[in-house]
Amino acid sequence: MSVSPRKLLRVARWEVSRATGSLDRKTAVLGAVALLLTLGVAAGGVLAGGVALDEDIYAVAVGPDSPYHEPVSDSTPLEAVPEGTPNADVYVDDRDPSDREATVSVADTRKGQAALGAFRSAVERHNNRLLLAEENQSAAFPVGVTLSYVERASQRVGASDGTAGAAGADSSGDDGTGGAGGGGGAGDGSAGAGAAGDGGSGSGLGVPDLGGAAGSLFGGQPTGSPAEISPPFPFSSLVLAFAFLVPMNFVIQAYGSTILNERINRRGELLLVAPLSRTDIVAGKTLPYAGVALAATTLIAVAVGGGPLSVAAVFPIALVFLAATFVGAMFARSFKELTFVTVTVSVALTTYAFVPAIFATVTPVALISPLTLVVRDLQGEAVSIAEYLFSTGPFYLVAGTLFAMGVGVYREEDMFTQRSVPLKFLDALAVHLHRPRDVALLSALSIPFVFVAELLGIAVLFALPEGAAIVALLVVVAVVEELAKGVAIFAGFHQSRFERDLPTALKLGALSGAGFFVAEKATAVVQVVGLGSLPLGRAAFGTSGVGGGLGPLAGLGLLALPLVLHVVTAAIGAVGATRGRRAWAGTLFVAMAIHFAYDLTVVSTLG
Amino acid sequence: MDSDREGASGESPPEDAPNPIPGTVAAGDRANRDPRWTIAKRELASLRSEKTILLALLIQLFVAAFSSFLVVGLVSLYDPGAAAGYSVETAVAGDDAGDLAAAVGGTDGMDARRYPTRGAAADAFSEGRVDAAMLSTATERGTLEVRVLVPDGNVGTTLVVVRAREALRAFERLERDQRSASLTAETLELPPRAGSSPYFGFTYTVLVPLLLFLPVFIAGSVTVDSLTEELERGTLELLRVAPVTMTDIVEGKLLAAAGLAPIQAALWLALLSANGTAIAPSPSALATVAGVLGLLGLTAGLAALVTALGAALALTAPDRRAAQTVYSLGVLGLFGAAALSPANPANVAAKLAVGSPDAASYLAVAAVVVAGGVAVAVARVGVARYGPA
Repeated sequence: MSVSPRKLLRVARWEVSRATGSLDRKTAVLGAVALLLTLGVAAGGVLAGGVALDEDIYAVAVGPDSPYHEPVSDSTPLEAVPEGTPNADVYVDDRDPSDREATVSVADTRKGQAALGAFRSAVERHNNRLLLAEENQSAAFPVGVTLSYVERASQRVGASDGTAGAAGADSSGDDGTGGAGGGGGAGDGSAGAGAAGDGGSGSGLGVPDLGGAAGSLFGGQPTGSPAEISPPFPFSSLVLAFAFLVPMNFVIQAYGSTILNERINRRGELLLVAPLSRTDIVAGKTLPYAGVALAATTLIAVAVGGGPLSVAAVFPIALVFLAATFVGAMFARSFKELTFVTVTVSVALTTYAFVPAIFATVTPVALISPLTLVVRDLQGEAVSIAEYLFSTGPFYLVAGTLFAMGVGVYREEDMFTQRSVPLKFLDALAVHLHRPRDVALLSALSIPFVFVAELLGIAVLFALPEGAAIVALLVVVAVVEELAKGVAIFAGFHQSRFERDLPTALKLGALSGAGFFVAEKATAVVQVVGLGSLPLGRAAFGTSGVGGGLGPLAGLGLLALPLVLHVVTAAIGAVGATRGRRAWAGTLFVAMAIHFAYDLTVVSTLG
Repeated sequence: MDSDREGASGESPPEDAPNPIPGTVAAGDRANRDPRWTIAKRELASLRSEKTILLALLIQLFVAAFSSFLVVGLVSLYDPGAAAGYSVETAVAGDDAGDLAAAVGGTDGMDARRYPTRGAAADAFSEGRVDAAMLSTATERGTLEVRVLVPDGNVGTTLVVVRAREALRAFERLERDQRSASLTAETLELPPRAGSSPYFGFTYTVLVPLLLFLPVFIAGSVTVDSLTEELERGTLELLRVAPVTMTDIVEGKLLAAAGLAPIQAALWLALLSANGTAIAPSPSALATVAGVLGLLGLTAGLAALVTALGAALALTAPDRRAAQTVYSLGVLGLFGAAALSPANPANVAAKLAVGSPDAASYLAVAAVVVAGGVAVAVARVGVARYGPA
């Protein structure tokens, strides 16, 4: 398939002109109003200091003359109700309003306990306000705290034993990383209000100072009295994920519409008969949307303070968004189906980008998500090429494979027919099957998807106890890999590309297993970032040669055994695939069981 | 629909449903049934045959499971009982380290280890022998500056910082008491410590509104899709040849889409309460029923509002791309605007779900239901003007 840049650009121009040309004034005005409303609300929300979701969710029964009434009515989640109200969560029995104490009783429910917790912190805040009015501030706040987040593996902490600067709480100048062998200053500087001289090091979580309202999400000000310390919000990467991924949803919605539009009422036929290759058409139609996604990503990266690395890390995610939407729009029968495809895509990708970062106490796991690269970029840390490839490589490969698959069915007989999504999927695979060895190629191309699925498995199962996590992960691995090897064979038989007999099945199985085995070697990239040092990483990628370090003979055996395994299991699955879906499911299950047993044996003997 | 005779036999049409255009022979007249039901059933059948509804439920379940997973993680993290096995070893050194160590030792889940110098404590921290370090330094003003070193991580760090803050507050109180002679403010005595996590509210303030409003958003999106699809494929013209009016068609579609939202919401509420999250807990069963009905009413009202908006956009915008984009942006903006208003729907839902509704909550629900009805009525008028029939 040849690509001519000139033709491609012409299609792109046409796509842009059609997108803007189809807008009538009414819709443009509506769109502008909606956009302004959204932006205005976002700005309003920031100005108002966020939206209180938890306003008045707990009722506290307290008399109006009790000194405890004021903290309760000032608190957001607490609502002051008159004494004697039935069904309050906390009862304050203040017999003598002139003294500073009262008897507190609580409803015997979880809600009551939660209300008590909120009440206690409301009183703490109230006391703090009283103390702020004190003349003798050094007696009111005798303790000043500076919180330093230190990445322990990479650097040592310097601590001067001299007396601290007499300046007081808000200059906190003495906490630079300074000391012996301090590498980059990342993670240790306090970027609180007073530490402006610190020179752009990370704040709270080590994630960017987004400034303003967003800043408080990241752990707020790390300097001050103990009450002012707020623990870091553990889900800063979720905020980043939302910031970067929400605009992509709008892009893919428009993109999915334009692709599906071509398929309605045979509109795309004109383009198909034009002297253009399929790749020209698809690339040309995609280019404007990829451009918009790139521009949006760049804008957001600049807004959160990131550089080119942030853009380079997030753009592959945008490509996968577009690629998955393209394939979805090629398969979908209606707009409704397309909506769910786009929602599925965005939920899955957001999860993939976000989950690894939650359990990021171990760096290799965090690196699964490209958002970790963004976080590092914002911190000013260096990212090696290998780490970049590890995070984003699967995205590039997945996007490329998906586009190839979609382009394969971008032709008359597939575009204008209505079939269910699974059948379309099998069609799309079968298009590429001309000779038996194409099965090997398809199996090899499934590697990025397998890789992504297994990485997601690691990230999700990382929270479980190690023993259970490894077994669960091996199940995931067996299921994912056998499916990946088998689906191309099944597609071939289903669309009658191959003879349905035993020799063919065995041959296809062997080819598929071998193709998968060769491509799987590529996953050895996990070693580069050190995922192999984790038990889970070893369990998932053991067959790709990560668990090396044995003698030459054993090493050779370890190299040959996985090949045998992949060939045997793929052949077992293929035998069933000749006889239809049920038989395939049965043999596939057997193959998965064998695969699982093999992996479990390897992991427990080498363990 | 060939099966509409037996299909709708269980449901009776609204008694007062007017025949929108006198003179047209609505399909319902023959079968003594409202044609809108027929359209709604056709709509649901298409959702079912394309398995989209299944996918929608799966996605919502996934989002819910994911959020609950986070909540469970957070709750176990903050619950002193759950994390009892794990104690934060803290190196303590510097001026007044004795009091600091006492405050640290007195905090749940913290253990103090004293080191002779701040340097030794910092070294112990960098080498990973302790989980955190507190280095205290006396200043000339007579205060103490405590430098707290915590490991940079994610969830683990939060745990350490939460506990360190607790210890430092205890330390601050201790030091303040020693200086109480020079203080005049009369602080209130603190209520007892609570035995629950501060994230109890998260389920009610975030998860419940999320699960209630996600179906609403999807309902509107489905309406936009369904109408633009009929317009672009030209099947709307076909439908109009059938003995139904345009108003019937649009109302039928609204009925199908908006009707699904409260059903999904009810499903999530049932799942949540089966999972141990009591919905609208209250000693009296009547209040619980009222709370649940309030939540469902809120969802239904919002769904009516949003689907009416979607229908209006689908009929005005030239194609699906424009309609969907304007719809998403518009609903995002409207939800945001509503969240800034005093009757924030998310907050109303949270209050109803947690069991602290007041008259204002029910008033807000009623207002939303009325607004939904008005929106549907406005959409009706618009549709009647849009089509000749």
